[in-house]
Amino acid sequence: MVVVRRRWFQAPWEFRESALFTAVSVIAGFIIQVAASGRGIAMPHLPFNAIALSVLAVLVLSTGLAFKNTHAVKWFGGIPLGLCLILAIALLSLIGGIIPQQPVAKESLPVLLGLNQIFSSWPFAVTVLLFLANLGISLSWKLIPFKPQNLQFILFHAGFWIALSCAVVGSSDLQRFVVPINVGKANNLGYTMESETPQHLPLSIYLHDFSLEEYPPQLLLYDPHNDKLMMNKAQAILEVRTGTTASWQGIEVLVLDYLPYALPGKDGVPQSADRKTGIPFAKVRIITPSTQREAWISTGSPMLKPDAAQLDGFYLIMMPGTPKSFRSAVTIQDEQGHETNANLEVNHPVSFMGWKLYQMGYDEKAGRWSKLSLIEVIHDPWLPAVYLGFFMIMAGNILFFWNGIKRREVVK
Amino acid sequence: MIMNFNTAAELAIVCWAIGSLLSLLANRTPALKLPAFLLSIAGALVMAGFIAFYWSALDRPPLRTLGETRLWYAALIPLVGFLVEYRWKIGGLKYYCMALATFLLSINMLHPEVFDKTLMPALQSPWFIPHVVVYLVGYVLLAASSVTALHNVYLQLRKQENSTGESVSHFLALLGFVFLSFGLIFGALWAKEAWGHYWTWDPKETWAFLSWLAYLGYLHAFRYKIDKSKLQWYLALAFVVLLVCWFGVNYLPSAQNSVHTYTQS
Repeated sequence: MVVVRRRWFQAPWEFRESALFTAVSVIAGFIIQVAASGRGIAMPHLPFNAIALSVLAVLVLSTGLAFKNTHAVKWFGGIPLGLCLILAIALLSLIGGIIPQQPVAKESLPVLLGLNQIFSSWPFAVTVLLFLANLGISLSWKLIPFKPQNLQFILFHAGFWIALSCAVVGSSDLQRFVVPINVGKANNLGYTMESETPQHLPLSIYLHDFSLEEYPPQLLLYDPHNDKLMMNKAQAILEVRTGTTASWQGIEVLVLDYLPYALPGKDGVPQSADRKTGIPFAKVRIITPSTQREAWISTGSPMLKPDAAQLDGFYLIMMPGTPKSFRSAVTIQDEQGHETNANLEVNHPVSFMGWKLYQMGYDEKAGRWSKLSLIEVIHDPWLPAVYLGFFMIMAGNILFFWNGIKRREVVK
Repeated sequence: MIMNFNTAAELAIVCWAIGSLLSLLANRTPALKLPAFLLSIAGALVMAGFIAFYWSALDRPPLRTLGETRLWYAALIPLVGFLVEYRWKIGGLKYYCMALATFLLSINMLHPEVFDKTLMPALQSPWFIPHVVVYLVGYVLLAASSVTALHNVYLQLRKQENSTGESVSHFLALLGFVFLSFGLIFGALWAKEAWGHYWTWDPKETWAFLSWLAYLGYLHAFRYKIDKSKLQWYLALAFVVLLVCWFGVNYLPSAQNSVHTYTQS
């Protein structure tokens, strides 16, 4: 076979032209970024972004179909350009995966190029736009005329097109607010990540109660001379329960009694108390080579000093357990008078009139006694479109998997 | 508890070592084939049994720390080796797989982890297990794909004909990609419920996206007229991106604010 080396720009175009085109586009993106003095791209809001996206979709699909047989469009919707654009997106994401992505006040070249906010920068936007065009054109060829064997291709590629475009274009309509509320109060002011001035929300939240459940407290041996915690022999986090045993070099500890909610009694013996005020107490027997004794230890609280047991220059202490769950009992109300009661908990958000409410945080210094709950309120009108894309990708993937295990292709 | 891990790990490693030895000897003495297979698979079953036992002792799925994920890989990677042998009659991969599993268990034996039952509220989700397990399976398939590709490269350099090997590395990558896609989307759906948004360019997300793109690129290059034997280099190296995503992210400057850093104990 005679191999004839293709000259630059000799039709049909392939990888060289695609790589050059991609590189020029990314560089152009960086130039626009610098010209805009480091400000990223500003996406229009609804309905303008939806109109623009529809125009793009129609334009791409009709170009793909109308000029199906021209070299330029064939190249523009082909795999070589697609691969180069995937590589460009990967390289830009690589920057975002290494450099911390956060606003920086200082002026410098990386900041001017938008490297610290790469995913809202011009080069990223330009690459994604070209990628959508490339993907859309290749999709148009498989869509029309429709053939059942193209279903996997269509579901995967159309799903990716919809999810990517709607996530990017819809990012301007995403509203996220943090609403801090104290128990027994209502609030309709929300804070965004960017500004310190609160905004009025179309809904108000009344906080009836905030409650936090902890894992059992932990038993630890503290070395004050070296300011460090000693690891026990079993290499385990020691959850305090009646009967828990622990051993360190030469020290044996047995938990004789455990009261999860108690308060100090008059004679020094803790008495069980209610959940709201009580703190964990444990009666421990400590055995060292020379002595054996018993003592009550406690985790303490913002109101009570913790009790530790001193032994041979060490302290046996009890640390409050980490949070297991926390929830806010709230009443949500909008301006039209709609009202609902709900329990907000991590991983259990609540929907209300197009908004979604999340249990976000609390006053961590006060822990179990926090009177403050942070609720995040989110409105994302583009979510159903993005999810449609996700489910199409997954459906396409199931077909891909099925064909993959069914058909054994031999590499030629 | 930790004592039990060492016993289980040592037992598994001994099974794999004797199994591999017998399997090598089976080339001359075919009667050894069955005991070799049974011993090798017993090693993986020991690990699977230990995971089940550990799960019930922890009262939570052991998927939270890096060390816990290594347990799963140690149980699953050899199984892929056996599957490839069964499906494509390629016996070499299982030795790599058992060696890799032994290596992962050795890390856990050298760095015993703190036995901790707690699970932070954000991880208490029905998505936790599917998200991590789908990723585990994806990683296992892609690890096997990468090892096969590396072996293919070695054979190429020695100018040996090997089209089955190239077909195996391709199919493992294809199946692995499907699992990566599911893991990525499950993660997005979970993130929406737990953190309020499906995509926030958290460093781990960015790297998961990057590794997904790496294999997306591979599949398109494969479909296009690119020399299949050159793509073996690509497949062998693509796994490096996955390794960065699995544990390398923790060491990158961008990881300061990640919600995904595994608990370091």
